[in-house]
Amino acid sequence: MAHYRGGPAPYIYVSTRLRVRKAKLLPPEEYQRLLNMSLPEIIRLIGETEYQKEVDELGTSFEGIDLIEEALSWNLAKEYQRVIDLTPGALKEFTMAYLRRWDIYNVLTILRGKMQGLKEGKIKEVLIPAGSLDRTILDRILKEENCENVADSLKSWKMYPIIAAEISEGCSIGSFSKLENELYKRLYADLLQVANKGLKGGDQFLKFVQLEIDVKNIKTLFRMRGDGSEEDARKFFIPGATFTPEELQQMNLMANRNEVIDTLLLKIKGKSVQVALEELRTEKSEQEVDAELTRTQLERMEQLSKINPFSIHPILVFLEKKKHEVFNLRAIARGKESRLSSDTIERYLVI
Amino acid sequence: MTAETMTVEIAQASAAGLKAIGAGIAVGLTGLGAGIGEMSIGAAAVGAVAENKDIFGIALLFTVLPETIVIFGLVVALLLMFQ
Repeated sequence: MAHYRGGPAPYIYVSTRLRVRKAKLLPPEEYQRLLNMSLPEIIRLIGETEYQKEVDELGTSFEGIDLIEEALSWNLAKEYQRVIDLTPGALKEFTMAYLRRWDIYNVLTILRGKMQGLKEGKIKEVLIPAGSLDRTILDRILKEENCENVADSLKSWKMYPIIAAEISEGCSIGSFSKLENELYKRLYADLLQVANKGLKGGDQFLKFVQLEIDVKNIKTLFRMRGDGSEEDARKFFIPGATFTPEELQQMNLMANRNEVIDTLLLKIKGKSVQVALEELRTEKSEQEVDAELTRTQLERMEQLSKINPFSIHPILVFLEKKKHEVFNLRAIARGKESRLSSDTIERYLVI
Repeated sequence: MTAETMTVEIAQASAAGLKAIGAGIAVGLTGLGAGIGEMSIGAAAVGAVAENKDIFGIALLFTVLPETIVIFGLVVALLLMFQ
């Protein structure tokens, strides 16, 4: 990839555009309104926002929850592709590296869908073609009959060796959690490699990657403790950030929750993460811990985007917030369809 | 021509020359400063206008704000040249 050697102007331009886009995302009070609406009202409201084009285009072929699912996925993929088009030089490389996680999401969704015998169209609704596997490739993969064939059709994908190694076990037991773990480990190893490549702004990208790995590891740690699993947790942790898998395994074996939090606090930087960890001293459900840590990660990313206003951070904040907006809207729509109460749905939202 | 008158003429010419150089520096440096300032503001303004066309007027106003420093430079230059 050609390396950009200019002044700061393109960075300022892109950061400002994405800041404006971030400001256009749904404000928290809008979610409260949505929670009190019925499904048709939600579709109408979404059709009046940034999703108007997709809702209009897909309105003739889909209806109800399917329309929302499809419109949200299309919009998210479109927004991500537009961001890639906008970003210059090293920022493009970082953005593309960040978006590769959607390849994993898509491949796993297809594999799980195929295992459950879901129809092609139903799986397609939830795919987000934002990574290196575009819509055409995903359509081709979707046409494959069974999970081994899906894996074979991914031969050109960068992560194929991992798929090849793990797929037969996954297909035989019908669970892809081990494959998922391995894919995400490889993804974060790749992200760390891109960040350490010596590109302009790489140190700022590294901060984000390490923050994400830390948050992911802490989430896994609390999840494992919650499950009371005696299994060796080292294979579930991602190396490369503040804690090594061995340190995390030691914390996993600690009997006292406060002891774990004290150990985490000794090494973790960033005021917002420290405050969130203090909050976790009281016993909370797995889902509350997850939501709290996700919110903290977003908060910390927002802080970083203010410290480095013309870097990769404002771009990543927008990408993350957009993702959560789509997930929130999907959760509200799905919750409404399943007739869940507003309070229950609200617990699943990241606002 | 004596050496004395030559010195006065040289001194007068030098004074006029230095004034012109001073005026040039005043306008030139303020122009450079404004240009550097406008680079960031302009890039941000174009980015903001690309997303929201309604703010074109305000964005343009912000972009030309550093021009005021060039006016100060120009005033200093004119004072130097015509005082």
